[in-house]
Amino acid sequence: MAAYTVPKAFPTTVVGSYPKLPSAQEALRRQRKGEISEDEFKRLVREAIRGVIEDYIWAGVDILSDGEQSREDMVVYFAERLRGYAPGEWVRIFDNVYFRKPIIVGRVEWVSPMALDDWEYARSVSGGRPVKVILTGPYTMLEWSFDLHYGDRREAILDLARAIRREVDEYLARGAKYVQIDEPALSTRPWREEAELAGEALEVIFRGVSAKRIVHICFGRIERILPYILDYPVDQFDLEFKNSNFRLLPYLKEYGYDKELGYGVIDVHSLQVESVEEVKKAIDYLMKLDIIGPEKIYIDPDCGLKRLPRRIAREKLRNMVEAAKLARKEWAGEE
Amino acid sequence: MVKFWASVLGGYPRGRLARYTMRDLDSGVLEPYKGLVELERASALVVGAQLASGMRFVVDGMLDWHDIFRPFAEAWRNVYLDGIIRYFDNNFFYRIPVFRGEPEPQRLVLPGRVKGLKMLAEPAGVKIVVPGPLTMVKMGRNESGLSDYDLVDRVASVLALEVREAVANGAVFIQIDEPFLSDPEASRDDARAAAEAASRIAREAGTAVTALAVYFDSPKPDVYEELIDSKVSLVSLDVGDAPARAIELLREKGCGGHGLVLGVIDARRIHDDSYSNVRDLVAKAIDACRELEEVGLTTTTWLDLVPLRFSLRKTYILGLYTERLAADLGGEAVIPISAKPEPYLAG
Repeated sequence: MAAYTVPKAFPTTVVGSYPKLPSAQEALRRQRKGEISEDEFKRLVREAIRGVIEDYIWAGVDILSDGEQSREDMVVYFAERLRGYAPGEWVRIFDNVYFRKPIIVGRVEWVSPMALDDWEYARSVSGGRPVKVILTGPYTMLEWSFDLHYGDRREAILDLARAIRREVDEYLARGAKYVQIDEPALSTRPWREEAELAGEALEVIFRGVSAKRIVHICFGRIERILPYILDYPVDQFDLEFKNSNFRLLPYLKEYGYDKELGYGVIDVHSLQVESVEEVKKAIDYLMKLDIIGPEKIYIDPDCGLKRLPRRIAREKLRNMVEAAKLARKEWAGEE
Repeated sequence: MVKFWASVLGGYPRGRLARYTMRDLDSGVLEPYKGLVELERASALVVGAQLASGMRFVVDGMLDWHDIFRPFAEAWRNVYLDGIIRYFDNNFFYRIPVFRGEPEPQRLVLPGRVKGLKMLAEPAGVKIVVPGPLTMVKMGRNESGLSDYDLVDRVASVLALEVREAVANGAVFIQIDEPFLSDPEASRDDARAAAEAASRIAREAGTAVTALAVYFDSPKPDVYEELIDSKVSLVSLDVGDAPARAIELLREKGCGGHGLVLGVIDARRIHDDSYSNVRDLVAKAIDACRELEEVGLTTTTWLDLVPLRFSLRKTYILGLYTERLAADLGGEAVIPISAKPEPYLAG
């Protein structure tokens, strides 16, 4: 398979989730009812992953994900596969959308690879484009679970971090180049102590990792925790900007931000497709602030695309990629 | 002798019936009238749980509210709803109300609900909750051309109208939710605006009990100083999330002559609350505000952040602990179902 060359300036990527394709919906529905075997579940999920990858390639995205097609939810999926968790009951996320908030009832431990099959399959059909490893972080796992076992948050988060690190090792052994830990809950408690706790957990997950280390945070007052997280052992922060009208950018300037940046320019909660010009303008805005160079800027959506209709997600990605191409030409002289 | 009574702070989670009904209503599969009937059935469950647990004031559960702002924003001209954003430090998101001008009510949200609930709730009193004008403006987007505080004032006017009609239809307890006041970014000026807005709403509440509720954390001392100037009957504080700070606040600043409602039952977690911890907290709060004749006990926030089963269990715990506390602290528990009708229920 020919190696794919990721552009040096403004590479495009995704945060992770993609709208569930029909075969993934069927797989999850039938799995819940106990109607299908694990092999049949995997077959249906793989069909969906292939469709996701085709969409990404059609749009021109450089660094891909498996679309999280087998994950009913970013927390529940892992909770179902870790020792120490019990199934939860329905709790609302927004409107009439619910998730089965899992319950920690014992010491959390890794049992076996949790998302490896999907990642490997995505990689096998990506035409050489790199596929990110995307795992839910320990802070978010705890915050979005009920804890009936630990009582001590630090103890719980560090056990979760050790379990996730064990999972990361599986991917590293197979040559993973990008490892992203999703910590959307981190912005919900924007205190120094919380940021330090999450940082301690990231140390456990990323210690000695040579792949690109990414942490994704979104939807909250990220500016409040920014001063406390800049020293995290990561190469890249992947952050939401579009939904919060880019209000975070001046703070990056103020704090002398110099890591790589996953620059969220697509609103994943809006059905309105951002135009190429709109996304390009957002990139121009960042460049004019002169915070970091184009080789450190990864263009992507604010968050996962799972809540959007597939057609909208595709169009958004396509326009995002086109805007990145224009920016590449203008700001980095690359075709 | 201090009287103790209980009431949950706000809404309940949707069980399967309510979830499916809302899904079918939102998608247009179900006729609105049939949806209403189904939601009343779901609501009866949580009303029954409150009555059985000895709540003095009961809510209908607000099962059809997607978030606290939405029913009002949808009922007002010049306000529309945008994308979703996180509600404080919860894994729960609300639709952003965007103010494009002064809010003008096209219809009222509360009076019809109160009518429906009044019969079901007896002998307890009907409690209604409205979003605090400051919180609604701060959590929304102001494109009205008015200053934030002027907009807070206009929102208060519309909510005051809601409250007046709700009371006319039988509501006896009006709670104004201002969780934004617990936010570290809330300022003294914000608190003053919130207090004035709450006073304005309370003026329209007639003989109903009014409460200004702050939760998710304790307000900063300077914020608290301003909010206790509000002309409401009660100040409702979440003392469970940060107990040490909450008690310190009460010791330093007192209650400003208000009655006190204490959020002591953890509504964001599912473990059974420790009775001895709750008792210690309440005893310290009473000690800090010696002039109290009545203490309301409640949940730290709305119960819709836990599954239905646990919300019912927490309701029961709240009622149970209220009775035990009254006995242990030498007070009297006010439990409507075992008491003579109170004046507000007469007729």
